[in-house]
Amino acid sequence: MKSVNRSFLTQYSIAIVLFLVSCIATGGQAQGGGYSFGDSVSKNVACIACHGNQDQVGSKNFIDPTKFGHTTHARFGCTTCHDAITSKHPDGNAIPRTTGCGDCHNDITTQYSASIHGTKASCNGCHNPHRVSTASEIAATEMNKQCAGCHENVKITSSHSKWLPQAGLHLGAIACVSCHSKAENYVITIYIAKRDEAEPDSKPNLVPYEELLKHTNGENLQYLIDRNHDNYISLDELRKFNRDPSNKNIYLKAMLTPVKPTHSFQTFDNRWDCTFCHASGPEVMQTSYLSFPEQNGTFRQVAVERGATMDALRSIPNFYLMGSTRNGVLNKIGLLIIAGGMVMPVGHGFLRFLSRKNRL
Amino acid sequence: MSAKMVYLQPAPVRIWHWLNALGIVTLCVSGAQIRFPEYITFLGSYRSAIMLHNTAGIVVALSFSIWFIYYKLVSNTLSEIYIPKGSDLTTGLFRQIVFYFFAYFFGVPNPHHATPDNKFNPLQKSAYLVIMFVLMPFVSLTGILLMNMGPMRELVIMAGGLNILDTMHFLLACSLVAFLFTHVYLATLGKTALAYIKPMWTGWEKVENHGTGQTRLQH
Repeated sequence: MKSVNRSFLTQYSIAIVLFLVSCIATGGQAQGGGYSFGDSVSKNVACIACHGNQDQVGSKNFIDPTKFGHTTHARFGCTTCHDAITSKHPDGNAIPRTTGCGDCHNDITTQYSASIHGTKASCNGCHNPHRVSTASEIAATEMNKQCAGCHENVKITSSHSKWLPQAGLHLGAIACVSCHSKAENYVITIYIAKRDEAEPDSKPNLVPYEELLKHTNGENLQYLIDRNHDNYISLDELRKFNRDPSNKNIYLKAMLTPVKPTHSFQTFDNRWDCTFCHASGPEVMQTSYLSFPEQNGTFRQVAVERGATMDALRSIPNFYLMGSTRNGVLNKIGLLIIAGGMVMPVGHGFLRFLSRKNRL
Repeated sequence: MSAKMVYLQPAPVRIWHWLNALGIVTLCVSGAQIRFPEYITFLGSYRSAIMLHNTAGIVVALSFSIWFIYYKLVSNTLSEIYIPKGSDLTTGLFRQIVFYFFAYFFGVPNPHHATPDNKFNPLQKSAYLVIMFVLMPFVSLTGILLMNMGPMRELVIMAGGLNILDTMHFLLACSLVAFLFTHVYLATLGKTALAYIKPMWTGWEKVENHGTGQTRLQH
């Protein structure tokens, strides 16, 4: 009898837990519009009810529910940071905040404070806490736009031109933090960009989510390239994308992005040396990702078959990193051509030596 | 049978030739470092290799202009010297091939007699036609575009993009390196190893006088 009761209680408990979990999940989605995280969801919904409406709170206090919803900050809940809110809110007074970024991100704030950038801008200067993302969720162009908020493009191009050949070309193909943060490694991240001849190379124009949807007729954007829907981009799929005439107005824009950017902003000595990238060798250049825009403003990376940057002409026709992305097949063809040129001196020279007496 | 000196290579041609030679050798070495930086580091930093490559490229493009201006506008002998005639293609090429690959080994003299207006044998004419009217212009053009990707962006796109341009530049450069080996070797085929090289430095070539009003290269 005891065992029957125990079994019944266990099953009953599991059913209750599952029921509550499903209630929270569906309730959150129904009320929050994609707003579905954690225990604080009900509190967030109450905040978003007003702050998610720009007409009601104005642009300064507006929080885009779609962009906020996916963040880790949303999971913790609004009142984790805005902990001094009172029952009188909204009473027209600013809400004092007793928490700061360093309370959770202590390592980063310590690292950042020690960098030359530490006294120039606060965390909010670059990061909007209501739409934070991981490094892989942001396009390199977006990262660069954050920098351009303070560092004017014209001045940046001019200062880099003093030592960097074709500075504009470089700045359009590299995330600033690839050189200005202490990232050890980098990968090639590929985006879908507009083929706009009026835009300079330093400012590639990525195709936004809504516009790309037209190319897929509303289907998952990934399927624009990942034709067999296996969540993996093969070189063959890249080639098909490049050959497809319906994609004539868009192209694959590859950029050099750091794997783990740090907040120790400065210019590292080895970045002045071109060989940091240009002699990193074909092996480093094998790894790349295709980054697709998401509805919530972030980007999602999909792994690409190794060697996309090495497949000159077909996989990423507009990306070339001298030295590092040299194509092995072309090297062999070049060597054959040069060897062909040596046939005459070697072959003829040999017979010339043997027949030298005939010309005395 | 006496020998006399003929002024075969005027100063502008010699200046062009040696500027071109220096430029092309520099381009080959710096180009090799740019493509294989892990293995080749003769010229110091990668940036130095690029700067040198760009400078040598400009020198070669300018010396190419000297060549064109001299032959086309000053002496007006460009087509006469570089474009093979009908007889060159029908019998001349064959005769010259037989000489280089057969008769030469038996001590038979070169059937071609160089004069200031007819410097090249049919085989040379055909080779230089490809070198000077196809390889050199295209390797220079692709190099100029690669050197100015930003300002010449629309032309780069028209040409098929960065990778196409780089591939063309690399394969054209390899073809020129291949020619360089053959060119230097053939320059040693005179009576002595320096017999053909000296005139390109001094301008004067020693030729045999057969007393028939014709001059003949001394082989």
